Amino acid sequence: MKQLAFLAAFVLLVRATAVASVDDAQSFALQAAEPYVKEGFQVREDYWGGDLGSGEKKAVRQQLFKGNEYWFWMGTEVEKAKISVHIYDSEGKLVEEPDSWQKGHFAAAHVIPKGTGSYFIIVSVEESPEERTHWALVYGFR
Amino acid sequence: MISVSKISKWVGFILAGATLSAPAAPAPQHIDVHQISKRVEDVVVPLPNEVFGALNKLGPVNWKEFVRTEKGANFTERPRIALLLGSVIADGFIAVQAEDAPAVKDIGQRVLTLAKGIGVGNSITPHAKAIIDAADKRNWDNVRLELDRTQSSVQQAMNEVQDQKLAQLVSLGGWLRGTQVLTSVVTKHFSTEGAELLHQPDLLSYFDQKLAGMPEYNAPVVLSIKTALNQVRPLIDVATKSISPDAVKRINEITTRLDGEIVTRQ
Repeated sequence: MKQLAFLAAFVLLVRATAVASVDDAQSFALQAAEPYVKEGFQVREDYWGGDLGSGEKKAVRQQLFKGNEYWFWMGTEVEKAKISVHIYDSEGKLVEEPDSWQKGHFAAAHVIPKGTGSYFIIVSVEESPEERTHWALVYGFR
Repeated sequence: MISVSKISKWVGFILAGATLSAPAAPAPQHIDVHQISKRVEDVVVPLPNEVFGALNKLGPVNWKEFVRTEKGANFTERPRIALLLGSVIADGFIAVQAEDAPAVKDIGQRVLTLAKGIGVGNSITPHAKAIIDAADKRNWDNVRLELDRTQSSVQQAMNEVQDQKLAQLVSLGGWLRGTQVLTSVVTKHFSTEGAELLHQPDLLSYFDQKLAGMPEYNAPVVLSIKTALNQVRPLIDVATKSISPDAVKRINEITTRLDGEIVTRQ
């Protein structure tokens, strides 16, 4: 019985740690977004998150509206990681603006959609000392 | 959880430099979307004010015309409450566009009542209060923020009790009400650019797929929505062609009928 209780506590602890790490990644993504709020961008509460190994990519699909301007901000709590985010249209063409940037464990992509429709946001952990690196992606529009 | 205040100073410093001096690493100019499509994550459903913002940029809109504060019917069925909650949150965004403080306050109260009806009142209470406070101060940015937080908190609370389906119905209710208003505006003052805002085939597929995964929700309104999404699809999934005025009008008729079914007891 004691062993079961210990196991349950361990599982809960591991689970809590994993959740906390995604939350941390989201905190960093939101920090990346902070300067843009002053420029009138409304940052969504909803976000994507997960974990990736070095060199792994993930695609998320997002409906964007012509007339709006969007920034996507990515962050991770792993300070020595290098991450990136890029935006493609439904035909697979890179559409982000040249002021998109990446800096270590932060990255951001800027898009002014030429048309209303679905776009692909490709997130990647390019390098990381960790086996799995938590990431989070938030976006804002104006 | 790392404290935001602890990291904000140095992160702000780094980012100030980053925006000036660190362009993105070269990314491929093209990707194979057919490969990518197989492993995409769920879509994040846009907020109604995302499309309203784009609509505003095309010309002035008389948002007051679309403000709605009637309390509507009281339901006990959770799927119906969830759909109505999404619709009422969308009404909140409309009232913000119209800068109608009394309407926003009524809607804040209504959101709280509905949230209690699906058992997430505790998560929503602070947001409902913040909506009402911000409306009193006519701080529209904060009202928008709190409406977004409301929807996000409902989703989080639903996820915690493994009831994601209700959260999806909240999103669907908001999307339907937003689409109804969008099509009303575009029908009255048609423009190709306005109609293009309806080009949302992947969102339609997303909702279709989610509804297919909830066969236990067989209320007539849910079945109506399933049928209606199939009617709307060919009207908006027009590839590179423009969405026609007739199509916009037809979508408006469909979404207006659904809105009636969502807000009234039938």
